[in-house]
Amino acid sequence: MSLELTISISIGGVHAAARPTLIKTLLGSCIAVCLYDPTQGVGGMNHFMLPRGDPGRNDGAQFGAHAMDLLIGATMKVGGDRRRFVAKVFGGASVLDLHDSVVDVARMNIDFIGAYLREEGIPVLNSDVGGRYPRQIRFHTGTGRAFVKRVIRARDRLMAADRASAARPLPYGSVTLFEGE
Amino acid sequence: MPATILVVDDSRVVRAMVRDALLADDHRVVEAPDAREALAALEDAPVDLVITDINMPDVGGLALVRTLRARPRERFTPILILTTEDGDAIKRAGREAGATGWLVKPFDPDQLRQTVRRVLGARA
Repeated sequence: MSLELTISISIGGVHAAARPTLIKTLLGSCIAVCLYDPTQGVGGMNHFMLPRGDPGRNDGAQFGAHAMDLLIGATMKVGGDRRRFVAKVFGGASVLDLHDSVVDVARMNIDFIGAYLREEGIPVLNSDVGGRYPRQIRFHTGTGRAFVKRVIRARDRLMAADRASAARPLPYGSVTLFEGE
Repeated sequence: MPATILVVDDSRVVRAMVRDALLADDHRVVEAPDAREALAALEDAPVDLVITDINMPDVGGLALVRTLRARPRERFTPILILTTEDGDAIKRAGREAGATGWLVKPFDPDQLRQTVRRVLGARA
């Protein structure tokens, strides 16, 4: 019997595995998407939060799409085919105070991922989003099974982390022109 | 000057973002979700620029670049890679395949438009 690998990811993280692996993460208002290819028995998970971005610009969706692009690319690299992917979606808890001036990042994250997966035609097999309490997610890449546990004690710690992440702008990628190098 | 640009990406969401960025400069955008459909679109009509992803099902973006460079009509057409990949080795492979430039996602729409203007200007 082979030992299963265990990997923990945090905000901004993504991991996909060809070998059966247990991927764990702790979520507040962030989203984690678990992707699974049932034919190949491979899967991956990300953990992201949309930045608020500049008013009038579509930065939030741009960076959310990027987080999903990274997950889809990583899961394809370990043998998955996006045409067979199914998804499980978790997170988006309102761990920030209702009276906080920070925009409702949890709602923004939930709305984004629902629209994204619909647009990309990736079926959602299961989702557990919203509410007030953090979640611990454990995803088995070899079987596609996911387990969710509410973690009430982590609420204060995640509130501070989420507030910092929601305010932090993310960098755009670089541009390289080959001609004339 | 407005150009016709082929955008190849297996993500419909990313294609829409690229399309919106390019439409702001009045370019005409043709979309393809994979290399096969990109080649079919190019059979219908030539384009001024190709922007392609790397990691796509069946045929990857680098293979598409090599195929286009072997065809007389697209031998000198500018080709920009737009990808999450940021490693030196794969960028070198892109350059060797014949790509004109390499943009790493997430992309800044203003920077994408500037890059497109630059490669289209160099071609004119």
